[in-house]
Amino acid sequence: MTDTDEQDFQPLVDRDRRLADARALVAAIENEDEAGEARLIGELTAAYSGNIFDEVGRMTREVHDTLRSFAEDERLGALAEDEMPDARDRLRYVITLTEQAATRTLSITEDATPMVEKIVDRSRRLKDELAKVAASEADNSRLGSVVGSMTRYLDATTGSGERLKGQLTEIMMAQEFQDLSGQLLMRVIDLLEQLEEKLVGLLQITAPVRGDKSVETGAGKPGDAEDGVGPQMPDAGENVVKNQDDVDDLLASLGF
Amino acid sequence: MKILVVDDFSTMRRIIKNLLKELGFTNIEEADDGQTALPLLKQGNFDFLVTDWNMPGMSGIDLLRNVRSDPKLASLPVLMVTAEAKREQIVLAAQEGVNGYIVKPFNGATLKEKIDKIFERVES
Repeated sequence: MTDTDEQDFQPLVDRDRRLADARALVAAIENEDEAGEARLIGELTAAYSGNIFDEVGRMTREVHDTLRSFAEDERLGALAEDEMPDARDRLRYVITLTEQAATRTLSITEDATPMVEKIVDRSRRLKDELAKVAASEADNSRLGSVVGSMTRYLDATTGSGERLKGQLTEIMMAQEFQDLSGQLLMRVIDLLEQLEEKLVGLLQITAPVRGDKSVETGAGKPGDAEDGVGPQMPDAGENVVKNQDDVDDLLASLGF
Repeated sequence: MKILVVDDFSTMRRIIKNLLKELGFTNIEEADDGQTALPLLKQGNFDFLVTDWNMPGMSGIDLLRNVRSDPKLASLPVLMVTAEAKREQIVLAAQEGVNGYIVKPFNGATLKEKIDKIFERVES
């Protein structure tokens, strides 16, 4: 037993009183005086339990002081009331910026695609017309040679135009990143909101005098498959499909 | 054919719309979640629904349930195009009566393949 333990269990009343009580208890048991026995056990226990109450009191004071110092920590207050909302705003701004960039790119590809289509279409028609002219003037070798060069040029233009159209589609598809990154960022914003709410709540409980900044309500908890859980990170585990083939296999196993 | 594209991200609505146009579908309307999509579907004579899953207001899975429980819309073909990639979610969507499921990121060829498959099945 350590010194602290001995100190913790120091009885409150003096030795003579305790001895007298103990003897009275023995007498009560011998005389089968049950009421007296119960009363004396109570008195003897009370002589010790006072210390337990002291101990509980000391612990309560410690908890109180800890919470007080937590509430008085300026850094935590700043974190909950300024920095976390600021971080949320910054993330929302990232979503806005990526949306603007994606919209700009989509507008450009939407403008460029019909232009390319027109170039391809006109090149084909011009080639056909030239072929007719060359056929009707088959004996004109000079014309035949010019038509030949122009036809090769128009074929190249048509080929490049088709490839360019495919590349414009690829550029358009790449803008998908905005949806996926936006969804991931919104999850982080949601998490920040919940953390902020809890922290502000804790600070309000520990220091009611602190400015009563209104607490924004967190928008739903993430993680419920029913509500949707958002894009998965790479290596998200066996429970997550990795590509469209996995989706198709799973659906095929369900009879699709 | 009249198609409704439902997604809360305008970027994604635009991408799907452009892909559908390339496939020859030109009669396309948009909605940004299930809540705005449902009244459009109820009054709009749509032939095909393309929807995201995770949206504010009403999610895609709830929209699907609403469509399947409405006698007038029950047989409307529904394609989900979503980032939701958990196996349990795909199984749930299948149980609720989805006709096709595409995970983002995806491409035009996948979209064409799934649409062709859905209409092959609907017509047969």
